[in-house]
Amino acid sequence: MTPATLEKPSAAPLAPSLSSPMSRPPIPRQTSLLVGLDLGTNKSCVLAGPAGNSDITVSKVVPSVVGYVKDGIVDGIITGNAKILFGEEALSQMLHVELATPLAEGVIAHPESARDFMQHIRQLADPTGRAEIRAVVGVPANAGEPAREAIRRSASGIFSHILLIPEPFLAALGYRDDGRVKQAGYVDPVVNSLFIDIGGGTSDLCLVQGYFPTRDDQISIPFAGDAIDELIFDGLNRTYPNNGLSLITIRDIKEAHAYVGPSRKPLEVKVVIGGKSRTLDLGDVIGNACNTLIDKIYPALTTLIASASSDSVVTLLQNIIITGGGSQIRGIDTVLQKKLSDDGFETPKVRLAGQDFQRYVAIGALKAARAARDNQWQVLLG
Amino acid sequence: MGRIYRRICFLRFDGQSGEASRLEFSELKEAVDAAKSASESTDEAESILRRLLEEEGERVSEAVAIAEVLIPMLADRIPAAIPARGPASSPLGVSHRPRIGPDPSERSIADFIDDMLVQERQPEHPISR
Repeated sequence: MTPATLEKPSAAPLAPSLSSPMSRPPIPRQTSLLVGLDLGTNKSCVLAGPAGNSDITVSKVVPSVVGYVKDGIVDGIITGNAKILFGEEALSQMLHVELATPLAEGVIAHPESARDFMQHIRQLADPTGRAEIRAVVGVPANAGEPAREAIRRSASGIFSHILLIPEPFLAALGYRDDGRVKQAGYVDPVVNSLFIDIGGGTSDLCLVQGYFPTRDDQISIPFAGDAIDELIFDGLNRTYPNNGLSLITIRDIKEAHAYVGPSRKPLEVKVVIGGKSRTLDLGDVIGNACNTLIDKIYPALTTLIASASSDSVVTLLQNIIITGGGSQIRGIDTVLQKKLSDDGFETPKVRLAGQDFQRYVAIGALKAARAARDNQWQVLLG
Repeated sequence: MGRIYRRICFLRFDGQSGEASRLEFSELKEAVDAAKSASESTDEAESILRRLLEEEGERVSEAVAIAEVLIPMLADRIPAAIPARGPASSPLGVSHRPRIGPDPSERSIADFIDDMLVQERQPEHPISR
């Protein structure tokens, strides 16, 4: 039997022989990919693109959750009989999996699921599994060394190089319209702005004034979306005991109806309790919970404003930008702006980051990945 | 129960033995009695409770030891770390920190990253300890 692996000699007289180096196929160069990653407590955003150009080949928002399929699940229930699910797929199969949330308050809390999640991120960025990947990962403002080391360990062997950069600065970088930087009248957010990034685990405030923010320019408050969920959960149980609604349902209710400012009543929300549809008035419960966020953020906001240089503060007050999931709370911009105005601050202007609020940190991270010099990266061993 | 026991331990460390004893013989006793009556096996309940209280006691000891080291270090930083409820404490309520560095519009992202890396190497930076 003729071995299938033997090649027939070429009939063309000028074809190179098998023993010539020229006959060996060229070794494919390993693709280099750059990743910008916003590792959020509830949702992560990953952007990826090849090194050397500005294409974005991957842009995904993924719930930060890993689902380990329970023992004894019948074949065919889980697509491909997978053992581990991620993101939306894990949530859609929550009856059949043990859900794990790798992060808490913006930092890795469960290393094993964090590593699995990081592997999933890698797969999203590079389905071929062959690229060398350098990743810029956002970290909460003032994250300590243990939190950073946890990220490095979770990425070791998955990414070849890593760079950890505080999220609010990345948000400013991502929000910046690079095409308008030199335009007259355009205020570059990296030159003079105050970013408020309200996520699931932390609310990070950061003064960005043309230099990399120092520790004194950043305040990280461990009160954000998840804490609001807990307050709504407690308030709901006080007002409607034994309602049986889960935190996941509470989060959905919050995302649909969250507001700050004066009480909005009635705020009727339809829920299913015990299989039956009920209408609950959640105006006060939701308002009280969300207004707590204002009570936490406002003092930090005025502290940072007070620390800005006097020749920049008036312009700064015109560039207070709210991003992250918390930017979707109705009225948060007007309430903060009114508080500043009532307290005598000069013509403050608070605005929302807009529809890309989930992506600005990751966009900034990818910009940083493209701009970073070789000697700025940390090599990940393993 | 863990919370109550931690509170008792902290009170003892703080020299408030009277209040600690009061909690021990009221709230803690009630919580322990409730846990024991809810358990099917008294021996098992006692073993679990003993382990729980030992763990909580160790946590409190470790926390106190860490606090004794951290508090002097944090003492200098507390005014900057705690958000104020109003303007800064100067009579005019303003800060005069100058903007540093070259013209920001001329700086590249890599320059900002260099700033960040320099900061991280400063001895007082949290990640360099």
